[in-house]
Amino acid sequence: MKSSNSYTYIFVIAMAIVSALLLSVLSTSLQERQEFNKLLDTRKNVLKTVDALEAGMSDMAIEELYQSSFRKKVITDTEGRERVYYLYGSPEKPEGYVLPLSGKGVWSTINGFIALESDRNTIKGISFYDHGETPGLGGEIEKDFFSGRFIGKKIFRDGELVSITIAKNKLMKPSEHAVDGLSGASLTTGAVNSLLREDLEAYLGMLKEPDKEE
Amino acid sequence: MIMAKAKTIDTFLGPLSRSNPITTQVLGICSALAVTVKMDTALVMTGALVFVLVGSNTIVAALRNLIPSRVRIIVMLTIIATLVIVIDELLKAFVYDISKQLSIFVGLIITNCIVLGRAEAFALKNSVTASALDGFGNALGYGLILVLVAAAREFLGSGTLLGLQIIPDFLYVENGGWYVNNGLMILAPGAFIILGLLIWLQRTINGYKEE
Repeated sequence: MKSSNSYTYIFVIAMAIVSALLLSVLSTSLQERQEFNKLLDTRKNVLKTVDALEAGMSDMAIEELYQSSFRKKVITDTEGRERVYYLYGSPEKPEGYVLPLSGKGVWSTINGFIALESDRNTIKGISFYDHGETPGLGGEIEKDFFSGRFIGKKIFRDGELVSITIAKNKLMKPSEHAVDGLSGASLTTGAVNSLLREDLEAYLGMLKEPDKEE
Repeated sequence: MIMAKAKTIDTFLGPLSRSNPITTQVLGICSALAVTVKMDTALVMTGALVFVLVGSNTIVAALRNLIPSRVRIIVMLTIIATLVIVIDELLKAFVYDISKQLSIFVGLIITNCIVLGRAEAFALKNSVTASALDGFGNALGYGLILVLVAAAREFLGSGTLLGLQIIPDFLYVENGGWYVNNGLMILAPGAFIILGLLIWLQRTINGYKEE
């Protein structure tokens, strides 16, 4: 009986149903918590770009700090799509601007944030928090050592948007508009280069004259 | 009776040293390199493997007389995959930061040779209790090496243990001292070196010889 085909089929089907049931119940019951964690992680990353995140902050403190220090703004970009950005500090005296970044990576979409100083030119911080890049290679874009390289760089040259380019390897000479590359991550850095350029271009109007768009 | 007891103890203790899955059988190296930069990730990974290995060995042993032998590998893989997804979902819900650092390596427990290896070689032929013990022993044997490697790498590479600063701040170059963390230890080659030294040490003590 045990070696018959029908027994094998029944066993395999029963097994598949049991595990599918178990997993769907688990996934549904944990969904809320996971989504909360994800949202909190996004908040943390926004705060990290403006260097406001302190180690050991409680979930509540993070949420409060986020709510109190950022103002959400909506603009229409050159293609007529709505884009969101966040004003850091008070509207009268802005301390910085945080723009969401999103674009095609090697394996999946790369999401991140870039924070600019109040001059809307100097980079205050950058962070990539959600991506599917290869761990250890392209995945290194999420590490602090890499995002730290962007701080203080400029996105405009003589009023022209030039964005920031990640070099193929080490920079030949210091540049205000480029950073050292990651070895073994040519495809990821290429993807990040183009998503940076595309997203910054979409915000060009706001970057040049923020008050007009409000 | 005494014989049986000695065998039970051996089932549990053997994998910790003499038949350690990493140092003796050289299985599960991929994750051992990837998650041992810091001790907290190594500990969580160990916990995840204990859960999966004890769970899969227990379930496979309990079903060992029911599993049709022609499809046993795929059945065992389904059991293992289910358990891995369970632990991955739990980590995402309760320790999100660590689960982010472990990234795909929790998912890759499915392909960890130790798990399928123990199910096929042990759990299919032994009782539930013995299999659970065998799974627990093997997972701890794996975890022991992971934690040792992680401790060495975190100490030499970051000057901390479990996030606590061990090497005094004033010794660092930035603060006018002379000490610099060893950057090699943060990268995968550092893990290879530590692991190699551990295997050497353990084989010297146990008098293990390659056949």
